[in-house]
Amino acid sequence: MTAGIPEENTLGIVVGNAARAVSKTAKRLGRAGARPSLGSAFLALGADVFVVLRAVYGLSWFVVFWQRYPMPGAAASAWGVLIVVIVGAVIASRAGGDRMPTWGFSLVLVGIAAAVTLDLIAVWDLHDLGRTLTAATAAGAALLLVVTQRGATELLVSAGVLGVVLAVAMFLNTPPDAPFDADRIAPQLAAIAFTVLPAVIGVLLVQGHRRMVQLELDRVLVQSTVSAPRYAVGMLASEELARLDLAAERLLDSIATKKTALPLTPKTASLAASLATELRLHLIEGRRETWLYHAVSESEMLGRSVTLVDKSALAGLLDPAQRDGLLAAAWMLVSDTRKKAGPHRSITIQLGPLAPSTTTRDDHKIPIPITITSSGIRRNRVDPSIWAALGRVGRYSDTTEEGSLRVDIDAVVDNPADV
Amino acid sequence: MDLIAKERDRVLQRAARVYGLSFTVASLLCYLLPGAVDGTAAIGIGALLYVVLAGAQFMLGISRNPVWVLLTLAAGIGILAIATEAGTASLGEGGMTALQLLMSGSLAAVAIVLTGTAWRIVGLGAAFVVLTLASFWLTSASQAPLRTGGLLVLGWFLAGGIGVWVSAGVPQISKRIASIGRAHRAERQASELEAQRRQSARLLHDTVLATLTLLAHSGVGVTPEALREQAAEDARLLRQLRLGSTPTPQASGSYQLESGGDPEPVLGRTLESVKQRFGRMGLTVSWHGTGQVLLPSEVLDAFLLALAECLENVRRHSGVTEAHVTITEDDSTVRAMVTDAGVGFAIADIDEAKLGFAESVVARLRDVGGNARLFSAPGSGTTVVLEVPR
Repeated sequence: MTAGIPEENTLGIVVGNAARAVSKTAKRLGRAGARPSLGSAFLALGADVFVVLRAVYGLSWFVVFWQRYPMPGAAASAWGVLIVVIVGAVIASRAGGDRMPTWGFSLVLVGIAAAVTLDLIAVWDLHDLGRTLTAATAAGAALLLVVTQRGATELLVSAGVLGVVLAVAMFLNTPPDAPFDADRIAPQLAAIAFTVLPAVIGVLLVQGHRRMVQLELDRVLVQSTVSAPRYAVGMLASEELARLDLAAERLLDSIATKKTALPLTPKTASLAASLATELRLHLIEGRRETWLYHAVSESEMLGRSVTLVDKSALAGLLDPAQRDGLLAAAWMLVSDTRKKAGPHRSITIQLGPLAPSTTTRDDHKIPIPITITSSGIRRNRVDPSIWAALGRVGRYSDTTEEGSLRVDIDAVVDNPADV
Repeated sequence: MDLIAKERDRVLQRAARVYGLSFTVASLLCYLLPGAVDGTAAIGIGALLYVVLAGAQFMLGISRNPVWVLLTLAAGIGILAIATEAGTASLGEGGMTALQLLMSGSLAAVAIVLTGTAWRIVGLGAAFVVLTLASFWLTSASQAPLRTGGLLVLGWFLAGGIGVWVSAGVPQISKRIASIGRAHRAERQASELEAQRRQSARLLHDTVLATLTLLAHSGVGVTPEALREQAAEDARLLRQLRLGSTPTPQASGSYQLESGGDPEPVLGRTLESVKQRFGRMGLTVSWHGTGQVLLPSEVLDAFLLALAECLENVRRHSGVTEAHVTITEDDSTVRAMVTDAGVGFAIADIDEAKLGFAESVVARLRDVGGNARLFSAPGSGTTVVLEVPR
């Protein structure tokens, strides 16, 4: 065993990145990339069903138009290509991973482009693209086949390009003497809308869904702090402590077995110094952090917008039901993800200071004043179920302060000094 | 309280908003094309109703109030009535395309949010029936009811399908997330226990810290042999800790340096080992006062840690090689006064947040109900008074 520099600055991780490390897990699980994809396979199945229905609808129009096609061969091959793309993409997404490789996505795009081109060739001479395109309009919906497996931007760009290509084709296809009126233009507009919109709506829906899953993961992971002891060290602290202990053991061992010569080189000496500092920090750390601190620092959502003021670590005294209520209330206050409310929403949770007790209670309990002040949250805009959550913490009263909500809660807890 | 259900509703509401607004825009563009509807008044009022429709659909993305669903439908049917002059006028294909986009696309967006609860599904049925009847009546002059109805069913079926499908996936997701949450809670508890075990080995960490601090100064002032001996001992203790033996608090007073220590937590005996340890590092500790003090083990731990920390500070910063420790006791308190005749320092210069004193000495003593006071001035030595309750 030899002394080595610890792989990374453990202190930096704990102080700065503990929360990020945990929420990275949440992100990984919520993202489409990881195998346990949490519902995106189900969404993808829905998208596949939609695409197949859309293709059947388009195919029936294709059959209706069969007699009118100047080049029925081209239209038929357009549908042939599109069906191959649909079947291939469905099989690939069921059999393959949760993320389609770029070459696979390129194949899908090439297939869609081929189907659109062939369909355009087939009906070009009819000069009525709005009504007669079938495979080309269904091809836009086919982008939904990969909606859970590829990024939003590339899908939106693809759908946009497809829409522009159709619009340009329609413009070029128009005979110079054609009148500019609704009977001719409206079906063209509708065709473009039906081509582009499914992909756009699908992308936005999947994004919202992903966000929902990630929020819920974040919340559930943080929820585990509710059952933590009064003071806790947090998720990564013990791992860090173990690593520091091991690093110290290696260093000391290498000195004891004369592998490291005395006096130490400046480099080894500074390693010892940093180990001592970090170890010291870790040993005192566990004493002053409560579940609420860990909840706020580990959650991406809460960490961004909650400031915690709890000098006397009073949060640790709350019982699990009160903790659950407080956490749920804080969550609901900040998790409203409307865009306008976004950046300015923040709350401060202050616990204490304890008021000097005027009357002695005979039930071994002590009231803790909790104040939640908010900015950017209007009274009539908060979720009504927040009041039920606050009720579980204690008696509360709410006031409006400079147009923003402020809640004062009296949480009654077991007196730790009176057992 | 089901927070994921709220999130699901938000997702659906936003989807409904995007869905509705995009079809509204498409329909409005068709509506405004020349020849779609007859008469400037119909175009003007119709466009106004489109604005109302868009507003209602925008609100649909924010609020779950059914008012916005009703307003959306009312504005939509109003547009139908205006465009067809209350069912009397026959529209061309352009006008019918606009209305079809409106009925089967834009208005169908409300079907996305009309899922989830039984009442909402009833509302969905009612909305669909009302719109179907209204559209049959209003467009009968322009288009065969079969075609109108077929496209209506298709559009509303698709939109409702989105809502149902997303809602159907949520329980499964919520179950999986809950099981991840349970695993995470177990992990948190295990990690907490492990951290407690390691942190409870405080005396061990204290000697390790002292040795590391020595090493950080390249072991200056200590013979290499003594340092090696110390390092071997500390490494052995750390290995024991790593391999899972939990040093119990009762025994923690004895495992620091001497093997087979005194079974009783007698202060005098343990103080002797502190003295020896600092002796090896080149600081002579002179002992005064009470030799035998019995203390509860956690108080003894804290007291010794604080004392050792003070002596370490003397060794490192005072510039002298001798320190005096005077132990006194009364009925309620045991007091140690650590004095040196070294360089001293200005109290105001030490940073509160600086780890040395505030954390390792004061915090440890306060944990057990004790206190520490510091007296010093540049050039006139330093005195630290440590107090713990008996």
